[in-house]
Amino acid sequence: MDPDEVEFWAEKTPIQIIPSFNSQTMFLIGGDIGPFRASIPTRVPLWMAIHLKKQQQCKIIPPDWLDVEILTNVKEQEKDNKSFVKMPSEHYMVEAKLILGNAADDIPRVDEIRTIIKDIWDIRMSKLRSSMDLMIKNSSMYAAVDNLTLMEMNSIRPILPNALDQIYRMKTIKRGLTGRTQGTSILSHSKSTVSFNS
Amino acid sequence: MDDTLEIDNLAVSESEDELSLEQMIEVIEEAWLNEKFAPEILPHKTEIVELLLGQITHMEEQLQQVSSTDFKKGIHQMELDRLKYLVTSYLRMRLEKIETFFTLILKQEQQRTEKNEEPYLNPNEFEFAQEYEQSIKDHFESIMSFCPNVMDTEAQIISPNVNSMIILKSKKNIEGITVDDGNAENNDLIDLTSGSQILINYNSIASLLKNGDVHLI
Repeated sequence: MDPDEVEFWAEKTPIQIIPSFNSQTMFLIGGDIGPFRASIPTRVPLWMAIHLKKQQQCKIIPPDWLDVEILTNVKEQEKDNKSFVKMPSEHYMVEAKLILGNAADDIPRVDEIRTIIKDIWDIRMSKLRSSMDLMIKNSSMYAAVDNLTLMEMNSIRPILPNALDQIYRMKTIKRGLTGRTQGTSILSHSKSTVSFNS
Repeated sequence: MDDTLEIDNLAVSESEDELSLEQMIEVIEEAWLNEKFAPEILPHKTEIVELLLGQITHMEEQLQQVSSTDFKKGIHQMELDRLKYLVTSYLRMRLEKIETFFTLILKQEQQRTEKNEEPYLNPNEFEFAQEYEQSIKDHFESIMSFCPNVMDTEAQIISPNVNSMIILKSKKNIEGITVDDGNAENNDLIDLTSGSQILINYNSIASLLKNGDVHLI
């Protein structure tokens, strides 16, 4: 999957804005939005918030977790824990990037937040790399990936699934050679397979 | 300027148990992800795709009557673009699979008809697959006629790697999934709780995916 596509999914996340205009409820295909009253907070999808922000029609209220104290706490937990900690948002990386990139003036201590998010990402990435390493060494064929966010899973694609595919092929071929079942058909099968994940 | 844009959604259906538009979008979003990561082609969602496309056209027609100075037009336009991307990208992924695996897909469709099962392709896709197969055949016959045995069909069938690794998210509690780890013996059994995510090979969970108990991510 493209990072752009991950971003597309993240842009559905609802977020609070303070509009600077008045308008009736909008009937979008995906549901009704609004009504908008100037300076009264309302919930919209992130893509719309960014759009309105770019036209200076609203202020974005950052989500609760986009806060130096909370994120520092998450970072400490992530450091202390061997496994992955549940992130405050399913798309923390994309949301932070979009909000900080487009509405930096609505958020206090932007630079600190940026650094902490980057740190959290780095810690998680290094955990991810070592668990991938372990997985390949043990040639285990499944793994629980709870608490990984879409962007993080995307970063191990396609390399990890493809590597495991190859290990699987080697295993089945070896099994065929030791005389269990379907020797040749497995060989011709693996020759003509096409992998479809990208 | 508030009154310039009064856009209502088409009444999709009178009956209460039909999906709402929001749910239909969710169905297609899920189908998009599933189709993206599943190695083989999955059952079609044509009814929902067509309802959504109808909504998109309806909205586009209404938007034409709105003056382009209305800022709300931009938002509606953006939503339309997002939906159009979702649907077209979904359909395009299916076509890509059909082009790659056409021989196998057509064969499986035939088996499904014989067993009276629901087809995976919609009629248009089926027609496309057949025409595609025909034109590939014609092409090979015309340019490869001097080269013997190149059309040895059985050996040429391209099939997806149904053992490829995928990541899934479970929608319910599921017990006792057998993991085919490539070794003949000691296949592990695993349980999933609702919402858990796991990296596993497609073959082990293909039927769960088609039932809608899990979805790919």
